[in-house]
Amino acid sequence: MRQTLTLSLALSLSALSAAQAQGPIKIGAITSITGRFAEFGKMQLAGFKVGLDEVNRRGGVLGRRVELVIEDNASDVNKGLAAAERLVNAGVPLVLNEYSSSLVKAQAQYLARQKVPALVFSSSGDDITKPGSDYIFRLNQPATEYARAILNIFRDHKFKTMAIIAGTGAFEKSVADAAQDIAKEYGITVVEDQRYDKGLTDFRPVLNRIKAKNPDGILMVSYAEDSVTLMRQAREVGVKPRLFAGGAAGFALPEFVKDAGSAAENVVTATAWIPQLRYPGTQKLNVELKKALGGQDPSYHAAQAYAAVLVAAEAIRRAGSTDREKVKAALNTLNMQTAFGPIQFKDFNGFRNQNPLTMIAQQVQNGAFVPVYPKSVVPRPIKFER
Amino acid sequence: MTTAAPLPGTRPRALTFGNVWLSLALLAALLLYPFVFGKALNFGVATLIFAGFAMSWNVLGGWAGQLSLGHAAFVGVGAYTLTLLAMPERVPAFLGGPVAPWWGALIGMGLAALLAAVWGGLTFRLRGSYFVLSTIAVALVLRLVAINSTWTGGAEGLFMPELPTLFGLDLFDRRVEYGLAFGFVTLTLLVTHLLRRSRLGYALQAVREDEDGARALGIDPAQMKVIAFMLSAALTALGGSLYAIYLQAFEPHTLLELPLSVQIALMAIIGGRASIQGPVVGAVLLSVFGEVFRTLFASANLLIYGVLILVITLFAPDGIMGLFRRRGRKLGTAR
Amino acid sequence: MDQVALTALLQTLAQGLLTGGLYALIGTGLSLIFGVMQVINFAHGDFLAIGMFITLALFRTFHLDPYFSLLVAAPFGFALGFVIQRLVLARLGDRLREGSMLATLGLGLIISNTLLLTFGAQPQSINVPYATSTFQLGGVQISIPLLIAGLGTAVAIGGLNLLLYRTELGRAIRATAQNPLGAELQGVKTGSIQAIVFGLGVAFAAIAGVLLMPLLYAFPTVGENYTTKAFIVTVLGGLGNLPGAIVGGLVLGMIESLGAFYISNNYRDAYGLIAFLLVLLLRPEGLFGRTVKRV
Repeated sequence: MRQTLTLSLALSLSALSAAQAQGPIKIGAITSITGRFAEFGKMQLAGFKVGLDEVNRRGGVLGRRVELVIEDNASDVNKGLAAAERLVNAGVPLVLNEYSSSLVKAQAQYLARQKVPALVFSSSGDDITKPGSDYIFRLNQPATEYARAILNIFRDHKFKTMAIIAGTGAFEKSVADAAQDIAKEYGITVVEDQRYDKGLTDFRPVLNRIKAKNPDGILMVSYAEDSVTLMRQAREVGVKPRLFAGGAAGFALPEFVKDAGSAAENVVTATAWIPQLRYPGTQKLNVELKKALGGQDPSYHAAQAYAAVLVAAEAIRRAGSTDREKVKAALNTLNMQTAFGPIQFKDFNGFRNQNPLTMIAQQVQNGAFVPVYPKSVVPRPIKFER
Repeated sequence: MTTAAPLPGTRPRALTFGNVWLSLALLAALLLYPFVFGKALNFGVATLIFAGFAMSWNVLGGWAGQLSLGHAAFVGVGAYTLTLLAMPERVPAFLGGPVAPWWGALIGMGLAALLAAVWGGLTFRLRGSYFVLSTIAVALVLRLVAINSTWTGGAEGLFMPELPTLFGLDLFDRRVEYGLAFGFVTLTLLVTHLLRRSRLGYALQAVREDEDGARALGIDPAQMKVIAFMLSAALTALGGSLYAIYLQAFEPHTLLELPLSVQIALMAIIGGRASIQGPVVGAVLLSVFGEVFRTLFASANLLIYGVLILVITLFAPDGIMGLFRRRGRKLGTAR
Repeated sequence: MDQVALTALLQTLAQGLLTGGLYALIGTGLSLIFGVMQVINFAHGDFLAIGMFITLALFRTFHLDPYFSLLVAAPFGFALGFVIQRLVLARLGDRLREGSMLATLGLGLIISNTLLLTFGAQPQSINVPYATSTFQLGGVQISIPLLIAGLGTAVAIGGLNLLLYRTELGRAIRATAQNPLGAELQGVKTGSIQAIVFGLGVAFAAIAGVLLMPLLYAFPTVGENYTTKAFIVTVLGGLGNLPGAIVGGLVLGMIESLGAFYISNNYRDAYGLIAFLLVLLLRPEGLFGRTVKRV
């Protein structure tokens, strides 16, 4: 009796130590924990945590725990490149890449040249995967999709004319330019296209111009700081299209409604992910993210980070190893459902290794976001200004 | 920097501090770096490029005594020129095809010098403060142009296309880039040393110390400043071209922003404008500090820049190298 | 010109004028400092940011209406400026001209990064009920907070005018500006005057920040852009020329508003910068200046 006990104990102990001897699988990640993009970094860290917890709860990957080696680029591109080099030297199988396109572009290019797969999960500039590279994969929607969601709504409601107000940043330009192309495709006339540089933002002259042209829809692409001001001034100036539409970013954040108050009512916006989606596990994800954020409402950036961890784990599992080439091949054939949405990497329309996921649209009704597009989210009817 | 006029018979002060041996020692240390820290080449390349920027800035800032807060403009000229000329889809038709990066860099230097000539020619007739303000404005205008014009890629910026090899060396290999950046810093040190011994250097010092006196000697201050400006601009643009290759992708918002200009100027000033190696020392120290304490001081990085510049301005106007000079003087060794 | 176009023009002019008033306020502080002390304050916009954040903090903690924050921000700004002049600028002695540029540059970095560490990087705004209120004046819609900002500017500048031309202190300030040595000989304590002037300049910047807060949003680096605007305004009006700064501000506001409306909004900031460069090159003493700054 005692012998069998000792034997089984010894066996289990050795099995345990054998597993431990392998050590955890380390995946690299670069994000902006400090600096200008710190707010998004915070969201991403929460997403990472929730993702890691889930993967490890299911037993990890290949029998091993999964860990993230998170490097802070302090919102600076040179630090980001130094961080990327550290991760490459640490031998990680792939690197998760973050929010700001100016940082991601340089970081991803470097990783690609070092033949390390880079998984982009938040930055949306079209040119990251267009043309991209064999080693760069993106699971979130590109800027074109941001524009398409809104333009689809315009088209579905037979809008004839529209106006565009967008910042001059890379993201805003991506979305606004895509909107121009799609509008032409759909036969909607763009009566006014005005870009603005950040600074003392007085949108009144622009809004006055637009008011004079009286378009059916207005597409606004701005970051958080401007989206609130824009809506306030639009109400003040008295512009009245049938619909105000935001191209995600500032308009899709929970703070938008809080800070703009009544000015935000009836504003539609494209967004990458909302808790009301019908993917498996979406509700639970929202709860977990909120907990990880200490009660704060998560933005879609958190969900994207979560998805990145899941994708990375799945790719390694499929590859059966942490060899970079095998992981890259695994990413190419990967096809999974997550609480963020379906994920696979395809080549289409000039994009390479891009997840063909569409954007959703939500509208502020009675001070809260409700989904209004597409049909799969069981949308509420849209309320129009006129 | 106000002191009594130098006594006749003594060598002019400032900018004679920092002899050739110090430069050689510095270069030797920089040369050894990749062998000791071979795993941190990205950091090394970036630091060297910035050291070169600071040295180039100092040709105008230290020698001619003109504070420029718009040098990011020249970084941009160098970066954009090399990249645009190397891209088959954007190179102007009359050139018949993409231009090799070394010619692209040279053209960038020429354009930068041209910009400096025009701009300097117009503004150097004014007193110092106006020049500083004008540098900010010109850099901002350039940034607006880069952001809004489609030919330069607009706000989304540019990606570095494939580049031909240089004598068989892959330009994207960090070791090669380190070598090029090292060459860049060496060049700027060489130029600065040569300035010290040249008539141009003498004239610039005279202008900086006492403009009216210099005019009495037959030196045209405005013309001297313009030449210094052109030299400074060309060198900065060369660094900018290298920077573009290192980054492989850049956007105008971050490449041409005011904080970059300020960073370059501060590196040179904190290191010591009056010394030859000061800018390199400043760049290296600040970069190392920033990287080592990145996690410790995270957001406080720029705060420390601010504190340092304040401290230096108040107590050590000749920068860190200036501290050594003073000590040297006390020991009776340096002049 | 038909009714719609006329209304649009008037609207654009009105907005330009009111925004210009704010620019004038920011520029006046800078111009005053330069006029008396020959100091170019690179941290001017960051002092404005302090005003904004004080307003934000008071609103968040005490639900204090932003306009009451003036009572806190203005004296705080004055005290801060006074102390900075005494502790930092006064020590520069002969090196004031250039040293002040670098010192204020450093101060600006310290201020903006302290704000970053304290409040975080994300833009924050306050939501007051009258934020989007407007009132109509013959078809032209005028934003109430913007109007209040314009009135506040007028009051502040009027107050400064009274100070400078109707009080002993004002006379001492003007004397120091015109001829520091002479003033000193006359018994004016130029050291204290300079501290007071810097304090006033900073207070003006802080006031502008408070007035702007209901209209905009605060983030740590918001000052950078305003410093540039302040430079443009003071150069347009002539460095050291106070009435010039006022007109310069109004002119800048109009140029931007009209340019953005009639030409293109993309280059909105460029119009001001180009005007700035043109004035620097062609008439560096400013549109209204008298002191010649040519070599």
